[in-house]
Amino acid sequence: MLSFLYARQSGLDDPVRLRRAESTRRVLSLELNHNRDVDRIHGNGINTLDIEVIDGRYMLSGGSDGIIVIYDLENNSKKPQYTCKAICTVGRSVCRHVHKFSVETVQWYPHDTGMFVSSSSDKTMKVWDTETLKPAEEFQFDGNVYCHHMSPVARKHSLVAVGTKDPKVQLCDLKSGSRIHILQGHRGEILSVRWSPRYDHILATASTDIRVRIWDVRRASGSLFTLDQHNGDKSKASSEAVNTAHNGRVNGLCFTADGLHLLTTGTDDRMRLWNSGTGENTLVNYGKVVNESCKGLKFTVSRGCSPEFVFVPCGSSVAVYGLHSGELITMLRGHYNNVDCCEFHPDYQELYSGGKDCNILAWVPVLRQPGIEDDETNSKRGGTQAAINPAFEDAWSSDVD
Amino acid sequence: MSRKRALIADTFCLTKRRRCAADSVTDGAADIRSSLQYLMTLFSRKLFNDSLPPVVLKHQLYSLHNDKTSVDKQVNELRENGELLMFQLGFDSEAFALVFAEDYRTKVLQGEAGIETLGTVEKFLAKLIPGCSDLSFNKEQMLKEFLFTDPEITQLVKSGVLTVRDAGSWWLSIPNSGKFIKYFIKGRKAVLGMVKKSKYGEILKTELEGRRTTSQVKFQMKYHIHDIMGAELVECIQTTSGTLLRCVDGNVN
Repeated sequence: MLSFLYARQSGLDDPVRLRRAESTRRVLSLELNHNRDVDRIHGNGINTLDIEVIDGRYMLSGGSDGIIVIYDLENNSKKPQYTCKAICTVGRSVCRHVHKFSVETVQWYPHDTGMFVSSSSDKTMKVWDTETLKPAEEFQFDGNVYCHHMSPVARKHSLVAVGTKDPKVQLCDLKSGSRIHILQGHRGEILSVRWSPRYDHILATASTDIRVRIWDVRRASGSLFTLDQHNGDKSKASSEAVNTAHNGRVNGLCFTADGLHLLTTGTDDRMRLWNSGTGENTLVNYGKVVNESCKGLKFTVSRGCSPEFVFVPCGSSVAVYGLHSGELITMLRGHYNNVDCCEFHPDYQELYSGGKDCNILAWVPVLRQPGIEDDETNSKRGGTQAAINPAFEDAWSSDVD
Repeated sequence: MSRKRALIADTFCLTKRRRCAADSVTDGAADIRSSLQYLMTLFSRKLFNDSLPPVVLKHQLYSLHNDKTSVDKQVNELRENGELLMFQLGFDSEAFALVFAEDYRTKVLQGEAGIETLGTVEKFLAKLIPGCSDLSFNKEQMLKEFLFTDPEITQLVKSGVLTVRDAGSWWLSIPNSGKFIKYFIKGRKAVLGMVKKSKYGEILKTELEGRRTTSQVKFQMKYHIHDIMGAELVECIQTTSGTLLRCVDGNVN
């Protein structure tokens, strides 16, 4: 750490390098911390989490009971022991506009926290005003709404892409309230939709017909391309499986922070990394990523670290993989039941995960211990600060007095 | 758990961490070849009366090397050089069999000696071995690129070098491999059953290697162990007494 600081100070290193190195170190030391807790409001499993991008202070969660809760993540008390309080709840007794069935996806409006959008199995998507907690707009659909997404970078349009039981992807316009734009091409239910964080017109959709399509919404004709796991090598697959992204339903999509790569997960227990510009499978082998989810799986990628990490819910733990190397770094265990969603806080390098056990767990990086007696500081710094000279070590005395 | 070892990125390690004994070999294309050769020795030849070349499954390599992506890359390199052939076995869309090209050629020609399809098979092998790394062929490719005629294609299917995939396309296959697949699947199930039936559903790898094989298991125990470890049908946990194989719930393959 000191060498990084000195290099930055003297101009040998780019300032970003110190930030990236420290973020990576913090992500690698994520752990359940008993000082940090999140209020437990939901009575049933938690399906989705979203942290707002402006301040990173407020978090939305949607549960299987139809309730939406907003939490304040910032620690204003001076004590290390902190519970993230629920500031307001859109619940049954409070609000008559509440969703009747489970909330599948929630998302903050990308440009400020005055608004958020939620979609649910009661076939509606509601746009809520955060001040009054009343829906400003409601969109009705014919089938269960599995997912929706608003583009995080769009300035010229405010389209929400909605994936429902219908094989057509619908685009709803928040400015006019219309939903005439439809993207046709899939043959099964749409389990996940994602806008690219790089271009405001590129959209990726994943469906139960085991295909993932990339669309340019400005074009009138169909999708740009379909992701093919064999990269066009038709000989590898059996003939029905040609031009498919996975060998089972594709239920999770995530772009990397720079938008250059796309990750997909499928029920064939595989996760694949694609080049989002060409649609080429980068053939990074993550091994078996256990995935039994019937509906969409929400996973996330870290931001600001040097080898990026993917956090995928795997059964009742969260698996952390290196993005480009494919190796399993660690499994974060702590939930009592299946984990459904996880969300990364880029400013503090924290991970929040929610699951069927109605808990939201906060994984916080372990801070550096100041004491020299501690083994951990030594191993972090490379072993030059050993408290005891090895020549004086013996086999019978212990460090702990 | 204050004694837990923290994960450290490479950027922070000035001194290399001491690797534990169970760690994998260093990488390099030569290493994949030597791992392949080691796995081929585990293959029981006399079980098939020497009519099959030694076959290794691609995921068995994952149990020997840590980095799956580099294993895949090196296997593809060897295939492109024409040293290794890959086959789609059919019982699992992710299970690929690997055979050294030379072994394949000798065994196939040995099996074809004296039969009239020998000429066609030789022609096919000559086209296949240096350079073609496809797993399946369709009719157009066979007729136009390789210049085979319809009766010749029928001869190739009869000899076992091609298997039907669907109307107008064929998988590349190993002749007489049906028995291999049958014994393999039975043996895999039996070994997984052994792991499941042990106390607590887990067993040390060394103990499993020492167990007597039942009549269901025709291959060597080590061959099956590499298979179930690489295909992630069991969870591998490093303990102070060695590798522990724990049965993963919900996996009856």
